[in-house]
Amino acid sequence: MSASPANLVENQNTQAVGFDQAAEPGVANAVEISNVTVAYRSYKERPTTLKETVIGAIKHRKFRYYETFNALSNVTFNIPKGQVFGIIGSNGAGKSTLLKVIAGVLPPTRGTVKVNGSVDSLIQLGAGFDAELNAIENIYLSGALHKKPRAEIKRRIPEILEFAELEDFATTPIKYYSSGMFARLGFAVAADRNPDVLLVDEVLGVGDERFRKKCEKVFESFLASGNTIVIVSHSLGNLSSMADQIGLLSRGEFTYIGDPATAIERYRAQDYKTRLTQNNS
Amino acid sequence: MTAAALYGNFFYSIYDYREYLKESVFRDLRKKYKRSSLGYLWSMLNPLLMMIILTVVFSSLMKGRVENYSVFLFSALLPWTYFNGTVKSCIGTIRQNAKILDQLPIPKYIFSVSSSFYNFVDLFLAFVPLLLVMLFTGHPIHSTIIIFPLMLIPLFFFSMGLGLLLAVSNVFFEDTAHLTDVLLRAMYFLCPILYNRDMLPPWLVKYVVLNPMFGIIEGIRQLLYFGTLPNLETFLFNLAGSVLVLGLGLYAFNKADDKFVYFI
Repeated sequence: MSASPANLVENQNTQAVGFDQAAEPGVANAVEISNVTVAYRSYKERPTTLKETVIGAIKHRKFRYYETFNALSNVTFNIPKGQVFGIIGSNGAGKSTLLKVIAGVLPPTRGTVKVNGSVDSLIQLGAGFDAELNAIENIYLSGALHKKPRAEIKRRIPEILEFAELEDFATTPIKYYSSGMFARLGFAVAADRNPDVLLVDEVLGVGDERFRKKCEKVFESFLASGNTIVIVSHSLGNLSSMADQIGLLSRGEFTYIGDPATAIERYRAQDYKTRLTQNNS
Repeated sequence: MTAAALYGNFFYSIYDYREYLKESVFRDLRKKYKRSSLGYLWSMLNPLLMMIILTVVFSSLMKGRVENYSVFLFSALLPWTYFNGTVKSCIGTIRQNAKILDQLPIPKYIFSVSSSFYNFVDLFLAFVPLLLVMLFTGHPIHSTIIIFPLMLIPLFFFSMGLGLLLAVSNVFFEDTAHLTDVLLRAMYFLCPILYNRDMLPPWLVKYVVLNPMFGIIEGIRQLLYFGTLPNLETFLFNLAGSVLVLGLGLYAFNKADDKFVYFI
């Protein structure tokens, strides 16, 4: 990666980040991330079988097929409790990596991640579902995966089905569901878990207008009870109205954290500049 | 991580996720038998049919050397079927559950444990036809049968350990399943299933007994077919071997844990 004009802009902005993130005493943080670096491995032409690996090792003396790059480099920020924190950035900026780090599935190479309370993801809806099972069986399975006792799941089932509007299809194997029905069930199950910190990755696009309104209501009541949402999105309009703060990620670093309107403005400017440099080269 | 911590985490995870394990074992059973009219009977018919075929083929070969070949065979097929089923279903567990592992920080071997428990249910269901065959052929049911659950400990450890090693390997190498097929087939013939230890040439016995599965299967046959107790030394040797193999599996799993995310 050579130094491009976009890079220079980033460097100027890193200082501003420090000011915006000055610790406010007395405000509890839901998520505290300090100096997190994630060295990601990107594999190129990796042999996928043991046979090829052995041949590669013997014939070409090649053992290492990856290059490391920092998907996140030295990221530090806090998310106060009860906020909606938006993350924007172009593809490959590290948005999903950051969510995975907060979710706890990707341990950072350096730095610390602290989440106060439970954390749950709305990253891939219905991730633990089994297509052969029906809605009720899947609710049990997914609940058990989150260590919920069976009695508690049983109590919640009517409400989940009602919210997903699937009462009439409760005993249909979900492989016969439409994608909308599947997403509704996935959302209803995840929303019911009511975590302290909810990670959302582009899922507001599911379902029809009416269901989307319902989801937004869930988010509102979720926030009203003092919980926190971290949301990654490309629909900037939606985000600017929802988020309290937006962080702009660029090549694994935050170039801006703060006021949503400013973040979006800078994102657009940066996007424009990147495209210009790409066109010139 | 120390060996004690590896084992401690493993058993604590099983306890911690007991609800999920129960749920997923029942799910697998329901899925397997949902669309078959014979339902759970299949778990009993399967080993029975297998035994009948093998008995028809091999009992004439073994003429005079083994009395009541069907019980002789069935008692060894029980642990083998469990082992074979567990190892095979462990291989794909990480890839199959990639979506879950991508957003939920859970111990990744829990899915392998689940398939092992599912195969235990199958093993106990297969016990019913074994007892029926014993009654039908007039084979005495020995009191040593009560020791049988004890033999399941090394069986569980060894199958789990090998299953975990292969599950890790499968994340990195897609041909793991093919290699496993070859490995399992070789093991099938190198274990005392179709034959007994004394039918093998002595020079070969020296080597094949190093495989804990050899002693485990032999021990179970002694309990169920011969009505004798397995040699304590042999039992302890196989238990130690199985604990070691599970340790290796857990070590490999722990070592590769952070790298799975790049491959799945």
